[in-house]
Amino acid sequence: MTAVISNRPLWRLAWQRLRQRPLQYLLCIVGIALGVAMMVSIDLANGSAQRAFSLSTDAITGRATHRIEVIAPTGVDESIYSQLRRMRHHSPMAPVVEGYTLVEELGAQPMRLVGVDVFVEAPFRSYFGDDERLDAQSVQLLTEPGAIVLSQDLATQYDLKLGSELHLDIAGQHRTAQVTGIVAPNDTLNRRALSNLLFTDIATAQELLGQVGRLSHIDLIINQPEELQAIAAALPTGLKLETAEAQKNAVQQMTAAFELNLTALSLLALVVGMFLIYNTVTFSVIQRRPIFGILRCLGVTQGQLFTLILAEAALFSVVGSILGVGLGIVLGRSIVGLITQTINDFYFVVSVQQVTLAQSTLFKGLTVGVAAALFASALPALEAMNTAPSLILQRSTLEGKVQKLLPKLALLWVGLTLAGVALLRWQTGGLIAAFSGLFAVLLGAALLVPPLVSLGMKALASVGYQVAGVLGRLAPRDIVRSLSRTSVAIAALMVAVSVIVGVSIMVGSFRGTVVQWLDQTLQADIYVSPPTTTANRVLGKLNPEIVETLKTWDGIRLAVSYNDADVRVVDFDRQAKLISADGDVSQGKRPYAWIRPDLGADPWKALDTGSGAIISEALILRENLASPPETITLETPEGDRTFPVLAVFYDYSSDRGTIILDNDLYTALWHDDRVASLGLFTAPDVSVEETVAVIRTHFKGRQDLLVQSNRSLRQGSLEIFDRTFAITSALRLLAVVVAFIGVLSTLMSLQLERTRELGILRAMGMTPRQLGTLTLLETGLMGTLAGIFAMPLGFALAWILIYVINVRSFGWTLQMALEGRYFWQALLVAIAAALLAGLYPALRLGRMNIATAVRQE
Amino acid sequence: MTAKTWWSKLFASNTSQPAFSQNPSATVIASQGAVVQIDKLGKEFQEGEIQRTVLQNVTLRFDSGEFVVLLGHSGSGKSTLLNLISGIDKPSSGTVRINDLAITELDERSRTLFRRDYIGFVFQFFNLIPTLTVLENVTLPQELAGRSSTVAQQSALHLLERVGLADRIHTYPDKLSGGQQQRVAIARALAHDPALILADEPTGNLDEETGQRVLQILLDLTRNTGKTLIMATHNPEIAQLADRVLRVQDGHLTRVIVHPDALEEVVV
Repeated sequence: MTAVISNRPLWRLAWQRLRQRPLQYLLCIVGIALGVAMMVSIDLANGSAQRAFSLSTDAITGRATHRIEVIAPTGVDESIYSQLRRMRHHSPMAPVVEGYTLVEELGAQPMRLVGVDVFVEAPFRSYFGDDERLDAQSVQLLTEPGAIVLSQDLATQYDLKLGSELHLDIAGQHRTAQVTGIVAPNDTLNRRALSNLLFTDIATAQELLGQVGRLSHIDLIINQPEELQAIAAALPTGLKLETAEAQKNAVQQMTAAFELNLTALSLLALVVGMFLIYNTVTFSVIQRRPIFGILRCLGVTQGQLFTLILAEAALFSVVGSILGVGLGIVLGRSIVGLITQTINDFYFVVSVQQVTLAQSTLFKGLTVGVAAALFASALPALEAMNTAPSLILQRSTLEGKVQKLLPKLALLWVGLTLAGVALLRWQTGGLIAAFSGLFAVLLGAALLVPPLVSLGMKALASVGYQVAGVLGRLAPRDIVRSLSRTSVAIAALMVAVSVIVGVSIMVGSFRGTVVQWLDQTLQADIYVSPPTTTANRVLGKLNPEIVETLKTWDGIRLAVSYNDADVRVVDFDRQAKLISADGDVSQGKRPYAWIRPDLGADPWKALDTGSGAIISEALILRENLASPPETITLETPEGDRTFPVLAVFYDYSSDRGTIILDNDLYTALWHDDRVASLGLFTAPDVSVEETVAVIRTHFKGRQDLLVQSNRSLRQGSLEIFDRTFAITSALRLLAVVVAFIGVLSTLMSLQLERTRELGILRAMGMTPRQLGTLTLLETGLMGTLAGIFAMPLGFALAWILIYVINVRSFGWTLQMALEGRYFWQALLVAIAAALLAGLYPALRLGRMNIATAVRQE
Repeated sequence: MTAKTWWSKLFASNTSQPAFSQNPSATVIASQGAVVQIDKLGKEFQEGEIQRTVLQNVTLRFDSGEFVVLLGHSGSGKSTLLNLISGIDKPSSGTVRINDLAITELDERSRTLFRRDYIGFVFQFFNLIPTLTVLENVTLPQELAGRSSTVAQQSALHLLERVGLADRIHTYPDKLSGGQQQRVAIARALAHDPALILADEPTGNLDEETGQRVLQILLDLTRNTGKTLIMATHNPEIAQLADRVLRVQDGHLTRVIVHPDALEEVVV
């Protein structure tokens, strides 16, 4: 016999419930929406930045399969290109020169200037006509000096026409160019890709970028392995053949840790949102237990009840997730600027013209939102499923169960914390293991909340009576009585507030460490560099004449010159930052994490003699090395070279790792004698500010210089620091907003549940004021507990962020700096959020109809 | 406006009625029983589009020390009448005067304070506060009035002894039987020595034997102290113990049984 099961009456009940408690479901939907929105916005902003970079890289790479690159930062000598062409390989080959420029007429944002040879372009990029036939604009590109081709979109956006003049600022050098061509690719992808590219003839690019006689790289299309081998064999020392994909991957790896950190932080809001979902569903189950009991008596199966609860959760989570995705897109548009700024500050130049919504982002937002809701609803749904077919089961049965569960929850806390610690200690587990450990610790702490609340409130009931009379006795007992719900709200608020404490301590410690590091490292009085195309990374070089003039400037007693380049660390097979210096700008005050024992306190003397390299701790920490390596091998234009490691220094300017070499050694091996920045020490009694002003005026017209006093450089560095963490502040605040909604929802449901009891209190003579005080006392207690619990948890979180997450993400050792304000501010936030959430239910209760309330069953 | 008044007003419902003094003159309330005068009392509820009349034009008087039973079926309007007398609910028309104080003209806060100090309530479903022990439940009304816990406990312990629960003072309500819970509720209703006791089906949720015992305790404690007791019930047997029985039907006072024993009925 096949039993016929109809769910229609159940859906009707669900619909009625929704109509009875719309606000409760609305709050839950808002909670899910905010959690999903945060995740989507971060994903969207990260994705847009990556995609913008990837698109413009693809646009330049075109159909190239390989590229010849030079190890020296000065570029490929163009004679090598001629030699390779003379070898008459069958593979197409095209030279490329590229660099960054600011264009006044294009909103002064960084643009990629790409110089190409139109004669050999066709197989690679089809922007300049097909095959061997050149169109008119290509001919102009060749024949007119300063001719530039840009995309139709850019021209329309900035109202540029053929013949419009462009004023370029390339590392402070001003050049004029002219729009001679406008390309309009047919497909959207190409149009978007070209939106931050400017094309010019290779000779013009060389001249504009100051790279006369040199190429950035040579593109190749190689299909035959023999051809590949032949070309590789023909390359002189200092050049390497790489696949086109390799560079793109390297760039993506650079920001992986940064993006993972943001994603993890954005997930916190969703985790807090899960508490809210759990609470809402638990409420809906508990309040309907008698109905479920009757339904079970009438023949509703366990499976039907389980499905009903999960379907309800699925419904509002779908609505919440859709809203969240929409909100996330709006938020993402506003934070994309913040994220690209940080990427520009620390990693690579990218300009996001258009926020691109990937389908994966939409899918992720919806899936994670719904999955989180279903996961959070599973426990209460199981509870509903196990409702005995009886009419007399009351909520107290569940509370009784919760009381019995308390010792087990405490044990689970121990278990999860131990698991978390194990994950955090698992060095090779990387960031994923570290974040899993962090979430395990957080979840464990949340499980400890019910036993702690139970113990704390029982103890407080007698003290509360002494302080606030009968209300002081009622409030803590009411919290314990509804422990299954109140503890979840307290846990949600605790997690959110602990994030505030943890992140505040981490950011504060980070800032303190950076301030101290800047104080010790930056000892020169004046710093000179070309103006930055992006924010803090110097991409250009100083005019050699200016360097010479400044070194002998009146009133300057010492000048230290710096240069930097990217270098591949052969030992670890990854890119790092290479700095060459002809003196120590810190004058021996730089702090070291380790110095080779035979070198005494100052390893710089050994560096000056070219007897080794000083490396940053990020190199060691990101490779999980237990101790500094004895040597480090770097790829140089002269082949791989091994340098003894002299010392390990702290460096917070790069998370890729930094290697310092003596300037002479660097120049000899990398054939690059340019100077990127100068540190000037003024003679005694010379005014720094006046010297800065004079230098600025003196070189006006030759090259714009960024001349900064020590003070303004530090200030600028800290501004970048604060800007980097702006998004973190927004994320932690959002977690509190979600927790606030959780507390509000809990309180409203609790008040609804207790309407009759509160009505009796009112009937017995409790005044509206006393009832208001009781409600706020309860919420205040909940907030206080959340705040108090958040303090040790926040400290633990800070510890994990500083000593595990930061070390694994960026390889930086931070000095933990604890300040009282982090804790009391968090306590205030928790209490204020809870009290604010309690105000509305308190106001509603003050106006309750006692007769109706007392009649309620 | 002081912070205290603002706080009170924040939670109070809107009203322009004069506030009742927390310490009304001794002349207003007699020390033992209360005289309740009801004039043309009416109560209507709005149920969607329909206006439902629960009580209509009820006029009657309860004398000090009198035990009156309101007899009627479920939904007849008995409980509504009790709610209006206690000030829990506001009438649509008419007045309720207790010892010459028109409580229907008081604002919400004043009605609450009046109820707290001068009325004791016994409900059908006991309505004990589950988070408070037996003793704490009984001391609650006095403590809400700000009386010292020593004083409150003294009278509470005395009453709990009278109702036979002196050995259960630290027990929580969920560990007590229905009869025991109702005895605690009676002790709670009398602990602050109110002039007027309102009992809404006090035995309605108890078996017959327990109901009789509980009723006896309630009567012993009220009649001996001369308190006015108004009890709503649908049990005619209880009516036989009353001084006067009023039959309530469809919101009207239909018959007054002056002498229950003689069953001398007067049609209103």
